[in-house]
Amino acid sequence: MSALSLHRILGLTRWNAVLLSRNRLAFAYAGVLPLLPLALLLTGERGTPTVGAGAIVTMLLVISLFPVYYNVLAQFVSRRDELVLKRMRTGEARDAELLLSIALPGAVSALVLSALAVPIAAAAGQPLPVNPLLYAALACAAVVMFTAFAYWTAAWTRNAEAAQLTSMPIILIASLGQLTSSIPDMPDRVRDVLSLTPGAAISDLVRVGWFGLDGTGAKETTLSFTESWGPAAGPLLVVAAWTALAVVLARRSMRWEPRT
Amino acid sequence: MYEAVRGVDLDVPTGSITALLGTNGAGKTSTLEVIEGLAPASGGEVDVLGLHPVADRAVLRRRTGVLLQRSGFSGDLTVRETLRLWSATLTAPRSVEDMLVLLGLEQRADVRMLALSGGETRRVDLACTLMGDPELVILDEPTTGLDPESRREVWRLVSALRDRGATVLLTTHYLEEAETLADRLEIMHAGAIVRSGTPTEIAAGYPSTISFATVDGVPEDLAGVRRSFRENGRTTLETDALQRSLSDLLAWSAHVGRPLEGLDARSPSLETVFLSIADGREPASGATIEDGALR
Repeated sequence: MSALSLHRILGLTRWNAVLLSRNRLAFAYAGVLPLLPLALLLTGERGTPTVGAGAIVTMLLVISLFPVYYNVLAQFVSRRDELVLKRMRTGEARDAELLLSIALPGAVSALVLSALAVPIAAAAGQPLPVNPLLYAALACAAVVMFTAFAYWTAAWTRNAEAAQLTSMPIILIASLGQLTSSIPDMPDRVRDVLSLTPGAAISDLVRVGWFGLDGTGAKETTLSFTESWGPAAGPLLVVAAWTALAVVLARRSMRWEPRT
Repeated sequence: MYEAVRGVDLDVPTGSITALLGTNGAGKTSTLEVIEGLAPASGGEVDVLGLHPVADRAVLRRRTGVLLQRSGFSGDLTVRETLRLWSATLTAPRSVEDMLVLLGLEQRADVRMLALSGGETRRVDLACTLMGDPELVILDEPTTGLDPESRREVWRLVSALRDRGATVLLTTHYLEEAETLADRLEIMHAGAIVRSGTPTEIAAGYPSTISFATVDGVPEDLAGVRRSFRENGRTTLETDALQRSLSDLLAWSAHVGRPLEGLDARSPSLETVFLSIADGREPASGATIEDGALR
């Protein structure tokens, strides 16, 4: 496969962003909705790490699910339905360029919002991330993982309307994970299984990487920048495994034309 | 696996217009999709501008322009924006303004795609096809859905492409279009090419026809007539020697004093050939081609 063209990717991305901005609902999902969970920062006692972690985890999940996952899924499926993709594929644009350009507007929105969360949280009395590298890596990994999930889901989504239903399994496995930290007396075996979901891994990484919370029951910041890498290894591996799986599934099942 | 196309041996000469003609379902679009590299061929060889449509896709796409039979655009972009989007994907695009003028879309440039008529959308589609100044242009039913005026406009555009040295391969089910535009015709039926050549070559060997409102007593032994039949109150004679048959017939008519109402005499046309193929009266000529070759 020969090199992709940055010129084409940016050209296509620009128009995909224009289209996104002209669809009011999609635009609200991609740009505004993910900031709402930050209102949780105002609940509870000002500056409590557990409250902060809850808000940031919820925000990251909403970012992963709306501007990234659901947005990419809906854009790709509707463009496939309308034969826009088939038309594009008769031209010079490569398949990977088309996929990247559909994902990029949501990805940029997701990363900008993830970054904005730092000053907003600070203004609400929360600490700055203990390990900013870990937080940045998590935001990037979440974007890649949920983009791949979107393209995989598209393979068995008939049309844009069906996406409302076919997106449920991924939304579910993303949301379930948060239960591990919100239900304290959960049986260990259930907790172990749930901690392998992408949502739990994101939750663990926020707790460790931003708030320095060691373990699921921790309430106080104890980890430093260097100490945070150790407890992060497990959830990082979970995220990497899900990402690899999603990429493989998406590549194997890619479909460019509507089913006849 | 369904085999849409089996024996396609198609040679498209550089700098000419070749029309792939066939009934609906004959396999025209499937054949084009193999040439365009959108669908892989399970057998046979395909050679486009000396390259392979799938393996050499990147190079080929720069030199070809494709118009799909059915394609789509994002309804929320305007005509100009749609062309700018397409332009952003091309290595050496002609200017968007030039394309708007070429396709007569200047007045509609700022209208959203979803507000366009079918014919206007088709013209935007064609603007994309031609924007990269392609050497090889592949058009799948370029004029279907266009009004007669736009259709003639497209014909003019396609002829101009050939005059500039481009090679054009198009499909159509309009006989008139194929006859007017194409240098060579390839007639497809049931997944195979059954006839090819210039319009004159293709019609050669087919009988001329004479028809008139049925009258009694027409002699059976008119010169050159190979077959006659009556249908809907008209008698049709098929002949290999139109002028001699006609002279004999007129002489007989004058002699017995019976006028021939609604007399019509014509040389074999593409329509004759096409209809006989579509009706299944024409068996595929020559041996069956197992693995086709596209060049």
